Amino acid sequence: MSEVTRSVTELINEFAKMPGVGKKSAERLAYYVLRLNRTEALVLADAIRNVKENVRYCRNCYNLAEQEECEICRDPNRNREVICVVEQPRDLMALEQAGTYHGLYHVLLGRIAPLEGMGPEQLTIDTLVNRVRSGTVREIVMATNPTVEGDGTSLYISNVLSDCAVRVTRLARGITTGSMLEFANKEVLADALSGRQAF
Amino acid sequence: MSSEKASALVLRTIDFSETSLVVWLFTREFGKISALAKGARRLKNPFESALDVLTLCRIVFLHKSSEALDLVTEAKLLRRFRPTRQNLAGLYAGYYVAELLGDLTDENDPHPELFDLADETLAALAAGEVVPRRLARFELIALRFLGHAPALDQCAECGMKIDLTGRIAFGGIHGGALCRGCRQGKSSVVSVSAGVLRTMAQLADLETQAWRRIEIDAQILGELRKQEAKNNREILPQRLG
Ligand SMILES: [Zn+2]
Ligand SMILES: [Zn+2]
Repeated sequence: MSEVTRSVTELINEFAKMPGVGKKSAERLAYYVLRLNRTEALVLADAIRNVKENVRYCRNCYNLAEQEECEICRDPNRNREVICVVEQPRDLMALEQAGTYHGLYHVLLGRIAPLEGMGPEQLTIDTLVNRVRSGTVREIVMATNPTVEGDGTSLYISNVLSDCAVRVTRLARGITTGSMLEFANKEVLADALSGRQAF
Repeated sequence: MSSEKASALVLRTIDFSETSLVVWLFTREFGKISALAKGARRLKNPFESALDVLTLCRIVFLHKSSEALDLVTEAKLLRRFRPTRQNLAGLYAGYYVAELLGDLTDENDPHPELFDLADETLAALAAGEVVPRRLARFELIALRFLGHAPALDQCAECGMKIDLTGRIAFGGIHGGALCRGCRQGKSSVVSVSAGVLRTMAQLADLETQAWRRIEIDAQILGELRKQEAKNNREILPQRLG
């Protein structure tokens, strides 16, 4: 690369740290910022600063929030009797985009992975148990990822909650809508059969 | 760089980027390998979600000769680790098997018999078999396959037959049971009951199926677990050093 000033190099390096951004894209982004006028560029800088200074975890559910409680916890129209448990805020966002769930959430901020040194105490399971014990919750919907570690985390939590008067369910899994039965692998078919439901 | 096929158990996976995974695999044909699986985190990927911890799969991969990561190009799921309902102990035992395979073996050092043992052990654990017995058997036979089998009925040092009564001196670091003469002046030697050594011998037996009938009583189990933890602690530093 030809000579650029130190500030430009720093900006390129910062962009290059972002997920999915390689060296070439980082350069393109940096030159885009250079071409912006001062006001436009500072709007971007402020957006980054605001996100770091204002965003925190919701004290109830560990979703991202700009106040003590997130927008979902503050929404009076949500059903407070159901809590859907997810690994990360991005999983919550995906479920929200589906638009069919109207209960509350609980974000674990990870999953139990002993091989990575992640135990239950590093997650937000204590807070979840307190919410169940002290509240009006009737159902917990486990929506951790359908992996060995995600399923294991759900299993652990359902064991912890076994002495609470709450129904624990999990997301259905199985055949993708619009696909062909004959091409589904046997594990997927086994899941679909064991999770069958009444018409 | 050559394209290879292998049977593999997935030991660990780590998110490498937005779309890719790095996986640690214990393969039957090549021993432990670490490989990049490009696109494994995408919804549509060539791996059919076979690259999940503790799954058994058939893989095609590019074996790099240098220090670089291998590259998994295909993976076909053969068996997912699905513990029977509510069986958390079985799942944690499965994690432990993966951890031991990762710690006790080297990259590109195949042990097909250990692979088969691990495969059988994981299948049994997922099916809900009694955990302590299965796990103890796995540990003991794994150590034997890797050349670290402890001596159980003769002195590890002089080979003298040991009378299996009362309490017996045992030093994992010294190779197992020790006679009175050989234990003198050695550190890291503990005393275990004869019952523990007999149980260990039965559990590690590859000839008969008698081990399936062993009922490990609580006291022996306690001693056994302590002994195994100590074995692994002592053998690992030797290997690493
Ligand atoms: Zn909230
Ligand atoms: Zn001796």
